[in-house]
Amino acid sequence: MSEHLDRRSFLKRAGAVGAGAVVAVRLSGAERAAAQDATFHPDPAAKRGGTLRYGILSAAAHFDVHQSGTVANIGPQSPMYDTLIRRHPKDGQTIIPDLAQRWEISPDGKKYTFHLRNGVKFHDGAELTADDVKATYERIARPPQGIVIPRTPLFATVGDIVVLDPHRIEFRMTEPRPKAYMLGAFASGWNIIVRKKTLDDNQGNLRQVMNYPGTGPFKHVSRQDKEVWIQERNPSYWNKGLPLVDRLEIYHLPPFSPELGSSFLSGKIDYARLLDPVSWRKAKEMPGVTAAAFNQSVIQAFWTNMQKNKALADPRVRRAIHLAMDRPTLVEVVKDTAPMQVGGFVYPFHETSTPRAELEKKLGYQKDIKPAVQEARRLMKEAGYAGGLRGLDFVVRDIASFKLWSVAIQAMLKEHLNIESNLRVVQTSVWFDEAKAGNFDLAISAIVSSLMDPSDIFSAWYGKDGPQNYSRWTNPAFHDLASQIERELDDSKRKPMVRKAEDILEQDPPLIPVAYEQIYDAWYNRVHGQNPSTYFGIYDVVRWDNVWLG
Amino acid sequence: MRKYLARRAVYAAVTLLGVSLSIFVILRILPGDPLVAILGVEGHARMTPTDRVRIMADLGLSAPLPVQYAHWLGDIGAGRLGKSFFRGDTVAELIAHRGPISAEIAVLALIVSWLVGLPVGILSAFKPNSMPDGLARAISVLFIAIPGFWLGMLIVLALLFWFGYKAPIVIVQLWQDPWRNVQIVIGPGLVLGLAQGAYIARMSRSCLLEVIGEDFVRTARAKGLREGLVVLRHALPNALLPVITISGVLLGFVLGGSVAVEQAFGVPGLGRALVTAVIERDIIVVQNLVLLYAVIFVVVNVFVDLSYAWLDPRIRYG
Repeated sequence: MSEHLDRRSFLKRAGAVGAGAVVAVRLSGAERAAAQDATFHPDPAAKRGGTLRYGILSAAAHFDVHQSGTVANIGPQSPMYDTLIRRHPKDGQTIIPDLAQRWEISPDGKKYTFHLRNGVKFHDGAELTADDVKATYERIARPPQGIVIPRTPLFATVGDIVVLDPHRIEFRMTEPRPKAYMLGAFASGWNIIVRKKTLDDNQGNLRQVMNYPGTGPFKHVSRQDKEVWIQERNPSYWNKGLPLVDRLEIYHLPPFSPELGSSFLSGKIDYARLLDPVSWRKAKEMPGVTAAAFNQSVIQAFWTNMQKNKALADPRVRRAIHLAMDRPTLVEVVKDTAPMQVGGFVYPFHETSTPRAELEKKLGYQKDIKPAVQEARRLMKEAGYAGGLRGLDFVVRDIASFKLWSVAIQAMLKEHLNIESNLRVVQTSVWFDEAKAGNFDLAISAIVSSLMDPSDIFSAWYGKDGPQNYSRWTNPAFHDLASQIERELDDSKRKPMVRKAEDILEQDPPLIPVAYEQIYDAWYNRVHGQNPSTYFGIYDVVRWDNVWLG
Repeated sequence: MRKYLARRAVYAAVTLLGVSLSIFVILRILPGDPLVAILGVEGHARMTPTDRVRIMADLGLSAPLPVQYAHWLGDIGAGRLGKSFFRGDTVAELIAHRGPISAEIAVLALIVSWLVGLPVGILSAFKPNSMPDGLARAISVLFIAIPGFWLGMLIVLALLFWFGYKAPIVIVQLWQDPWRNVQIVIGPGLVLGLAQGAYIARMSRSCLLEVIGEDFVRTARAKGLREGLVVLRHALPNALLPVITISGVLLGFVLGGSVAVEQAFGVPGLGRALVTAVIERDIIVVQNLVLLYAVIFVVVNVFVDLSYAWLDPRIRYG
């Protein structure tokens, strides 16, 4: 039995969640407090006990969740930690209390006050206080030297973090940001609360500290590198009745790998995350198994080096390349390697982006690509490159989907625009070296964001000094608009601004979108309490406290 | 004999020193930044030059190369073998945990190669150019030609789709649970063993054919000995020397092949650890594992050389 989320039901659910958020925001103070009293409680029908065997990439390069950007950390470590607020495990979208029982946002959006729960204990027995939260967020917002935290920019406008009393903490902003953006940042699964003492004892670096105390529903038992991480139920967990399973066995099984697929299909694990499409389709047909697909916070794209290559600095050439891509075919090319969907410059499933039906009518996204190619050729001619381009250095990250795509893209460029490129396949670490150093003409890879909110990607992916703006792209009109979008607190005004930004990106592409990733999960029906169909990415709802075995 | 041993020990030490120096230099000049694996793509993109300097110093990578090399040799001398860049695990722990599985696979492969290769070689040599000989030669060539990792993947898929079976996904040592341990090592051991067995079959066939034509074999036959005895007692011991030599060389193939075959079977042995370390640019792990493989290869070949004297009384080392 599978539960597939189609566009209609996704929009309905997203709409309901959005409406809920709007209602919650507009409630009076007292009402707001009541609305926030929505701590996650277990399903009354849930059974206690048992061992959940979960397969996920879990060979992290280090143990510091804050410094990480990979599921290899958040997959196995999240069950041991809590966040200030969290996404509801039922829909993966609604923000609900976690260690903060409730919160208040000042009318001008410049103060976020969180009220922490009493009696929350870390696994080492120490009580959680606002000092721990302050130490955690000081580190995230202003990491010490040698500590690199990808979520730091989300808190760029956090000024002072003030401990009002042991259970009350206030974040004072230098300037306001949209509430959904800030609350989304606080609810991010990466921002786990750790002890101040832990940070002090380790000079702020937890990279090589395997078992630092959290407040989460599970406690560390043992770990065998690149094999299994075993955790047991935290009997003193603050959320009484949770977690529901006694033991977690988290197996290191790489994404899209035959090992993960075979381990799931042979019943060696109960729940598999990031299955390859072939195993997922097989799982979908199996009786007693549920298979779900959901959106991931990743764009697959290739960059055009504007500083190295004069032709690529011309927006007309970049738009021509953008239009020459047959995206439905590119999705098809990798369908047995990784699940993908067509999209533009903003997450295609985000409420502010151009709806899919509308997008599919635009040049560059249509199934019939003839009109787009015609326009692309016109643009090339207009830019003075009617004869095409020769000898472009196309750097390809050594991952199956990129290798498949690069060949298809190379052929599309040659056939549609007479652009000739030489593929150079390199290891991941080399790819980033080359991309940073600007040693490429074209370079294909994938990048992620922490939030679905356009402001996050507008700064990280397309920002003038954005860390992932590998094309070295600048467009003053866009940067100005992005800055306004970031500051605009009214959602109804933000939406048309985002559309306008999309239009700029369409005409002057900072990268060439190839596809947006999806995640394939599957689980045996004995696993209850979680269905990720409406989740965004695999980094927010990752705690397994709500899951039970029937 | 002592002189010979001392000479071989010196050669071995020089060889290993050369290997250590080569792998040390190669790993440092290869492109690729270990900080991508440590900080992740986003973290790496946001890293400032100051952060880089600090992290490289923490990892011990900012010291001059001769100093780094001397530290490594010091670590080897102390038996620590250094620490992984990433999680702080020592390479010695890694070897202690994963080594036994890889060793079992290598030993199993060796046993399988002899158990399969030698009888097939004898059978072929018994009746050269007969149908069984042709069949044995064809199968030998097939196993030499088929890549181990591909055969491994086929076996894994066949077991999964026909029997819903998969071997245990975490290491179970022989002394912990022999049955589950065997399930882990049997697949890679067989695949590697059959490939090596094919070489041994071909080598033993050609050596036996050569020896069977010798005068002493003709004499044995003339005495009226049964053909089986002629082959097993007189011809085979004399044909074994080259087979033993090739077994030592083949161990190198087993070690190299185990990297891909462990990956195909999903066995968390040393070969797979090496693949992961290469991808992560965990150079401390890579250099120690490569050196370990080199040590095994050199030591085995010394033993192979020494075994000649035991197998053939005419050979003496001085």
